[in-house]
Amino acid sequence: MANQAKHAIEVENLTKRYGNLLAVNGISFTVRTGEVFAFLGPNGAGKSTTVEIIDMIRRPTSGKVRLLGMDVTKKKRAIVPRIGVLPQDFSSFDRITVRETLQFYSRLFSRGNADIDGLIELVHLKDKAEEQYKNLSGGLQQRLGIAIALVNDPEVVFLDEPTTGLDPRARREVWDVLLGLKEQGKTIFLTTHYMEEAEILADTVAIISKGKIIATGSPVELIENNSNYLVLTLQSVDANAVEIIRKLGFEPVHDNHQDLKVRVEHTEDILKTLNAIKDAGGSFLSLDVRRPNLEEVFLKLTGEALHAGLAEGGEVG
Amino acid sequence: MKLRVIRANLIVKLKTFYRERTAMFFTLAFPIILILVFGTIFLDRDKLSLDLYVQDLDHTQASAKFVKTLQFNGNFKIIEVDPATDAREYAQKHKLNLILVIPKDFGNLHDQRADNKTHDASVILTYIYDPSSTSVKTKMEYLNMEFAGMNQRMSGRPPFYRWEEVSILDQKYRFIEFFIPGVIAMAVMIASLFGTVNMNTELLQKGIIRKLSTTPITRTDWILSNILYQFALAIISTIAMLLVSYWVFHVELHINAWLLGFILLDVFAFVGIGMILTRFVQEAQSAVAAANAIVFPMMFLSGSFFPIEMMPGFLQTFARVLPLYYVNEGLRASMIFSDNLAALRYAAIIGAFAAVVFALGIIATKWEEGK
Ligand SMILES: Nc1ncnc2c1ncn2[C@@H]1O[C@H](COP(=O)(O)OP(=O)(O)OP(=O)(O)O)[C@@H](O)[C@H]1O
Ligand SMILES: [Mg+2]
Repeated sequence: MANQAKHAIEVENLTKRYGNLLAVNGISFTVRTGEVFAFLGPNGAGKSTTVEIIDMIRRPTSGKVRLLGMDVTKKKRAIVPRIGVLPQDFSSFDRITVRETLQFYSRLFSRGNADIDGLIELVHLKDKAEEQYKNLSGGLQQRLGIAIALVNDPEVVFLDEPTTGLDPRARREVWDVLLGLKEQGKTIFLTTHYMEEAEILADTVAIISKGKIIATGSPVELIENNSNYLVLTLQSVDANAVEIIRKLGFEPVHDNHQDLKVRVEHTEDILKTLNAIKDAGGSFLSLDVRRPNLEEVFLKLTGEALHAGLAEGGEVG
Repeated sequence: MKLRVIRANLIVKLKTFYRERTAMFFTLAFPIILILVFGTIFLDRDKLSLDLYVQDLDHTQASAKFVKTLQFNGNFKIIEVDPATDAREYAQKHKLNLILVIPKDFGNLHDQRADNKTHDASVILTYIYDPSSTSVKTKMEYLNMEFAGMNQRMSGRPPFYRWEEVSILDQKYRFIEFFIPGVIAMAVMIASLFGTVNMNTELLQKGIIRKLSTTPITRTDWILSNILYQFALAIISTIAMLLVSYWVFHVELHINAWLLGFILLDVFAFVGIGMILTRFVQEAQSAVAAANAIVFPMMFLSGSFFPIEMMPGFLQTFARVLPLYYVNEGLRASMIFSDNLAALRYAAIIGAFAAVVFALGIIATKWEEGK
């Protein structure tokens, strides 16, 4: 029993197969009650598949999933009233207003005793309460989706990419809402491919790639455990510097066309590199040495870029 | 099954319908327009007033009286043609299909006969007509009938042969009364099939079904509320069609529980087909195309607009395998002929069909697993 209270979600050896594709490949993890847990991974990593198995939209091929202490394949009826779900690419009835939509969903759960006005206020949709869904901007639609996920005052909330496709401002507004939920003590399961989002919101981040979890921990832990190296950035290097660095046994990476990133393990390596470039008559504008951020940790772990902007850099090491 | 859930669903659907003006137009107005157009085309003959061009070369009191008689007894609308013109040329020029020419000595001959001076005095009325006109024959037969009646009256003796009409039906029915039940059956079919196909593909594609599967609404609640919604629409649409038919065409039809029953079976059958379609054809456009492929043969071959007896034998056989045929015939049996036994027979057939299709539709409707 103590275990049930501690873990809102327990996943053991979960797999999901679509024909020949093993979309989720034997993953195991737990989500503590009251924490924000983020699934971080690139497109097609298996995030939605995993979330939707846990929130009972899909069925697992094999493995065990316990949600609120109950087996999701057997206790759907008992679990459903206690969770809230925002599916990926959420959408609603075009001609129905914000208020009516919330009334509809709350009626599905109960006799309509939900605090509709409170929810509308929570997601900052007061001015738009009588607006039809189709007239809302993407960010507002997404906020309505979050409000819908909360109509039954759920203990666990699943949000599949709640900020994808939103502009930075709209994204921040959603973060505010989610931080508010976190304060209320709700357990939140979030998927995202924004590193920043995971860093700001999550207590625990699981990095998923090609159907496998390759690292789990708090954002700080993930960086600590995976940053036994330093990143040296050289700006405006000339062409032959790349060759020189290669000869030293490092694999440099171009960043923004002109900058060069080199991953080194010791401070001596930095001096060695700089000297070698000097000796060969090479030049650079400036340099920067720092520990890696989550973005680079992700790159190192998965060999994949999280999203398009980073893909140009190619692989490290 | 939860009433609260079904009600919530129904409210959303009805609001959407009310706010979606084009959907509303096509569901409600389209069948009404059909009724108005066909009803007007096939309006009863005796309510019809035909135009009649008359050239009176005689211009006496007698000829004027003759024209008046034609106008009242034959219900013609008389248009006079100037005696000075050549009637043939006039007809050609104005594309008239018939001009009745009264000869110069009409009054004279008429008086001779009326005063019994000359027993065999007769007058020749000329039809100047366009044989290529399709309706001129009817007009001429009509005139012939009138003249026969007038001849008989002039003889001053009552006719020997008289007749009366005894219909094998309680009541003679008109084309419009045959037509209305067919349009009701067809309109309900179209609304149910397309309503289901459009809603299912849209909700599936927008992922709303996926979201609904994370709420306590069950597949049964969902399907039942869809049925109820389609039934409500069918009732509204039928009421609108009947109101127009009564107001404009003064139809005489029997409205009773059979009507409700057949509408319900119609809804079940075609919502069922819609559910099966959306399972196998998930692309919205191809689903609509498939629905069209079902609707069109039904519409034209199942006897919605005209009796299937008018079609060649093999098509009649084909019509009898179309489910809509049984709704058409069932509605006519109850609404026109008050034939409960026949209505029951048709209801049994379409009922069995609806039950099977609807059961298959329920099986076909996926709920979990998203797409
Ligand atoms: N219903 C399905 N049928 C077949 N393959 C599927 C299905 N759903 C997902 N997949 C495949 O499974 C893999 C994982 O998909 P999933 O949607 O879980 O990824 P994701 O991490 O959510 O990606 P994204 O960031 O794009 O949402 C992908 O290769 C995808 O093409
Ligand atoms: Mg996804």
